Amino acid sequence: MRRYILRRFLQGLVLLVLVATIVFFLGRLTGNPADLMLPEDALEEDRVALIETLGLDGPLHKQFGIFLANALRGDLGDSIRHREPAVDVFFSRLPNTLKIVPGTMALALILAIPLGILSALYRGRMIDRVSGAIGVLGIATPNFWLGILLIYVFSVQLGWLPSARMGGPQHYILPTITLGTFLVAGFMRLIRSSMLEVLDSEFVKLARIKGLSETIVVWKHCLRNALIPVLSLWGVLMGGLVTGAIVTETVFAWPGIGRLTYEAVIFRDYPLLQAVIIMDAVLIVIINLVVDILYAYVDPRIRLAE
Amino acid sequence: MRHRGLLKGCLFSLLLALAWTAVAAEKQQGTLIVAIDTLGAQSMDPIQETRSAHAHYQAPMYDAIVGFNFEKGGAGPGVAERWELAKDGLSWIFHIRKGMKWHNGDPVTAHDVKFSLERTMSKESIASRGPGLRRDVKSIDVIDDYTVQVHTNGVQVHFAEGLSRATYQEGQLMPKKYIETVGAEGFRKKPIGSGPWKFVKSVPGDRIEYEAIDYPHYRGTPHFKRMILLLVPEESTRVAMVSTGEAAIASISPEAIRESKAAGLRVVSVPGTMQAIYQMYGLYLPESQKNPLADKRVREALSLAIDRKQIIEHVMYGEAKMPMPFATFDYSVDDDTERWQNWSREAFRYDPKRAKQLLAEAGYPNGFELKFASTALAGTPFMVPIGLAVADFWRRLGVKVKYTNYEYGSFAPMLRGEQKQLVGVVSMYRTAGRPAAAARFYGAFHSKGAHHLLGRGKDCPKLCKTFDELHKAVTVEQDPVKRTEKTNRMIELVSNEWFAVPILEGMGYWAVNPRKVGAFKAIPGRHEFGDLFQRMPRPEQKPW
Repeated sequence: MRRYILRRFLQGLVLLVLVATIVFFLGRLTGNPADLMLPEDALEEDRVALIETLGLDGPLHKQFGIFLANALRGDLGDSIRHREPAVDVFFSRLPNTLKIVPGTMALALILAIPLGILSALYRGRMIDRVSGAIGVLGIATPNFWLGILLIYVFSVQLGWLPSARMGGPQHYILPTITLGTFLVAGFMRLIRSSMLEVLDSEFVKLARIKGLSETIVVWKHCLRNALIPVLSLWGVLMGGLVTGAIVTETVFAWPGIGRLTYEAVIFRDYPLLQAVIIMDAVLIVIINLVVDILYAYVDPRIRLAE
Repeated sequence: MRHRGLLKGCLFSLLLALAWTAVAAEKQQGTLIVAIDTLGAQSMDPIQETRSAHAHYQAPMYDAIVGFNFEKGGAGPGVAERWELAKDGLSWIFHIRKGMKWHNGDPVTAHDVKFSLERTMSKESIASRGPGLRRDVKSIDVIDDYTVQVHTNGVQVHFAEGLSRATYQEGQLMPKKYIETVGAEGFRKKPIGSGPWKFVKSVPGDRIEYEAIDYPHYRGTPHFKRMILLLVPEESTRVAMVSTGEAAIASISPEAIRESKAAGLRVVSVPGTMQAIYQMYGLYLPESQKNPLADKRVREALSLAIDRKQIIEHVMYGEAKMPMPFATFDYSVDDDTERWQNWSREAFRYDPKRAKQLLAEAGYPNGFELKFASTALAGTPFMVPIGLAVADFWRRLGVKVKYTNYEYGSFAPMLRGEQKQLVGVVSMYRTAGRPAAAARFYGAFHSKGAHHLLGRGKDCPKLCKTFDELHKAVTVEQDPVKRTEKTNRMIELVSNEWFAVPILEGMGYWAVNPRKVGAFKAIPGRHEFGDLFQRMPRPEQKPW
């Protein structure tokens, strides 16, 4: 088990170095922030002066060397736009994103588990078809559109909920639904297919032959086994939730890291973009590491394979 | 006796001030909430902002050395009540308004003006015009507490206008004594200004909160007690917030005008904020002479083929104007506005028949292949549909348009240096509304300008040289009448060549909830409302 964890950890480190390298060079291919900061009538010498002030002068490979050396010391540079350490800017926004994640996850699991089980148990029946339709809609609906639709109905027309921004509990409802719909659909479809697989397995048949009640068969034997692949998807989606809430955060004016990423791209704020993506990668590596460890505990076959 | 008179005077002033304070305090109430698309760098230190967002969120609390002409647009009195160019043309003298104070009570003096300019020019500043000021300013002298003399490198006739937010942000005033006491970091954490709004709180990526001053201010004393600027990037959300009353005002684009009106909101259009233009690169080069665009008749034909009124009606939903010549507006200084309004009506007409005739005369009766690069600069996403409409009109003329859309961050690097990727290409561009056109002309046409549409270095043909000389003559001419005459010649020179052609004059657009804020007028040419918030009445008050 230790070897397994160590190997995953080292893989994570390699991944981070790769991410840092790709982000550094790809970011610079898309333009220079000085071009977006200067007025239309600026001279070339103004541009050179600004680039120097921003610390973006010098050959690229030297800049990369400085970046890597500083990154190893935990310094990912200062944001060009905010003029403060990029890591600080990231951590000032991270809590805002984390505030909507638990609600979204809870919503996804509360709805997806019963719907997935019912779909599997009543395969081909009305409830399965309705759940299937919900699943397709949930996956196919762009959350950008869904967010605006929810605002229009519940804020503008009905006046029940605030349109946007962070605030009291009512401010969390619409962003949570918007962000969670895709997850509900994804989890539900996965639970359904896992359940179908498990329901058809030999040990379930044996449990039924032994005369166990259907409730115990489903909830104790089937669900427990069906949740193993869900756990791995949960790791992937959790990382995606933290880092990929760009659209939801933009629609609901939520000052989280999703929107920070978008702003860093638009303003060519290289240090901030590097910091955000590297920190996102760290988060995803950690989450996946935790999931892998849990997975190994839940499914002994993985440990044995190691 | 004299002392008694003085005492009475002092007492009267004190009572007046107390009475004003009481009245102002009583009148100021409620919170003005404004939803905007950007808060830029969201730094309250003026030297850390480079974009026009400063006019949203720094303008409420910082005054500028030169202010606005609120009615016509362009520069007007600011912290400096008046200013004049020295007789030798080598310095500007600014006369500072007396009785102004910082939010901590310290008086605003000429020392603050000198300090602010020097801080903006310093190496730590990333203010976009910082390098330009370093180039233009030789030294700054404080003559007395209320008089400053700025010595310039050579004659700079438009220097004063550049210190107004009508042009740039670099005239913003910062408190010398306070910054020297608390340091730059202390100032950034707890900034003070001299404007009508005091800083309360800034939540990064979310909002900035202000509190109104309760004493007289030359820009006006706010009618609301508090103000919050909310950062809401998504336009539909901003409109929803104004509809529900969660915000009183929101910045919108032309696409949202109908939606806003349908929701019962008032739409305020700010005239003359920009011109949408197209321009042609590298046609001065020897290798470009076989390009059809090198023929002036072809360039004129392209302009005549565009039905600007249709674009205004259908792309801009009627909320735009027919343009004047490149970079000129109703509020422009140093030109004959009426003459150019008349010229534009004729020159920018829709005349497809004449366009076809000109193309045939130039030897292209069946059209030609044209590379068209479309891009939208920050804050003007509607440039893309305008570009598409222009391309369609050219296709109707028979021109085979090869259309490519670029995100501006990718387009901007192509503008640098020799512009190899843009030679012979037509691109969309925009020029922001500024009172003095000369700087814009420099950027577009001068051989050392960023776009150098007429020539560069050794490839500077006669037209390019003539322009450079004329531009120089405009910027050093101290006699306003002669300067106007020279500016007119400069406008004429480039307008008749059709290298940079205005498509329409755009506006800034805002959705306003009349239940949350009273009627007000925008300043022509300044899209952002940072200089206006204090004048906005509450719904029950008289319109401003």
